[in-house]
Amino acid sequence: MVIDGPIEADAVVIGAGPVGLFQVFELGLLEIKAHVIDALPFPGGQPAELYPDKPIYDIPAIPVCTGQELVNNLLKQIEPFGATFHLGQEVGTVEQQDDGRFFVATTQGTRFLTKTLFIAAGVGAFQPRALKLDGIEAFEDRQLFYRVKSPEFCTGQNIVIMGGGDTALEWAATFATQGPHHAQSVTLIHRRDAFQASPANTSRMRELCERQQMRFMVGQATGFESEGDRLTALHITDPQAATHRVPLDVLMVFLGLSPKLGPIAAWGLDIERKQLLVDTEKFSTSVPGIFAVGDINTYPGKKKLILSGFHEATLAAFGAAPLVFPDKTVMLQYTTTSTQLHRVLGVTPNAAD
Amino acid sequence: MTHVVTEACIRCKYTDCVDVCPVDCFREGPNFLTIDPDECIDCAVCIPECPVSAIYAEEDLPKDQLHMTKLNADLAQLPGWKSITKRKSPLADADDWKDRTGKLPELLR
Repeated sequence: MVIDGPIEADAVVIGAGPVGLFQVFELGLLEIKAHVIDALPFPGGQPAELYPDKPIYDIPAIPVCTGQELVNNLLKQIEPFGATFHLGQEVGTVEQQDDGRFFVATTQGTRFLTKTLFIAAGVGAFQPRALKLDGIEAFEDRQLFYRVKSPEFCTGQNIVIMGGGDTALEWAATFATQGPHHAQSVTLIHRRDAFQASPANTSRMRELCERQQMRFMVGQATGFESEGDRLTALHITDPQAATHRVPLDVLMVFLGLSPKLGPIAAWGLDIERKQLLVDTEKFSTSVPGIFAVGDINTYPGKKKLILSGFHEATLAAFGAAPLVFPDKTVMLQYTTTSTQLHRVLGVTPNAAD
Repeated sequence: MTHVVTEACIRCKYTDCVDVCPVDCFREGPNFLTIDPDECIDCAVCIPECPVSAIYAEEDLPKDQLHMTKLNADLAQLPGWKSITKRKSPLADADDWKDRTGKLPELLR
């Protein structure tokens, strides 16, 4: 067995948003197993990241559901198909091989050789919003972190955490509490004294401040100090325009995420206004075998709606089937009646009669 | 279709929008930000970011702001209006101007 070889796949889906997830479903009905890649560490894409609690009213037959409920239902719906998720990974390379398959590599080093590729990347890969201080990027991954990879690293250190969401508050509490990751000191900094976090996380943070296990400052980072190649302190300007010097060993920044379209333009596909041009028969891009569905594609009359993406994913799956199974005739079947579809879904509706 | 910055941005320029734009389609003038319609992909991510709700999808523009579609396109072509991709401080008196209307005569090119 070649351990280091790329994963051989019938289908790779880029993007685990609602349309990418439904793509897995439609491929699954056609017995095509999919690998799904997403830059976020959890499935759900925009609804999960940008509006998990906001109601959506235009999903057919679902009068209202939140973004997170939609994602949860889709995950339940695709369960029978056993898709493999590669989360927290961003696709960097897509190259067609001599045998017609596509070599797909993530910037984290996962590689695939796939017969078909489905780009359901929405408005791009969600990236942490960077701290806007000129020159601070030199300390990234050494003392400045946008994700916590190894909390052990923080034990006994002077930690400054920036942000007002659940991630910032949860990590502040973890490091401020006695335990394996207990820090020397924890300072939470947010631009105002109000948080976009759960009441539980907020009250826990306030309690830790009262017990002087951590402190909270209102203000914005306006500068930093360094000695040699070491970041030593941050300058925080408070709402009264006074600037405070905050010494630190580790700076963690959780200012939320925003999407970036990334390297899609470099994959040799026809593009119009940074979106992938597709036909409306198979939702194929200009390269046969690569399909584009959801917000990332464009065609005459395109509307960026989740429900349109579901339709696009359905036709793309049918468009891909002859490439995956060249010797098989693919028939349209109904989940109400087809015993074959019942088998792939793992259901036995007749037993209930 | 594109998204359009309306007059509400004039003399404020909070710049929260530019941080979230996935395609870096904002251009910066002296006291206004504009969207380059050839770059905007209508993702709508910027709309809720603006503290003065200055950004609309073209088809949702208030009736008194319809002229801003062409103005956004024209301003985006001006050589002095460079791409802005990082948030910066708003104009010093932004808070004094944020609730005013009829700011078009204040626009500096």
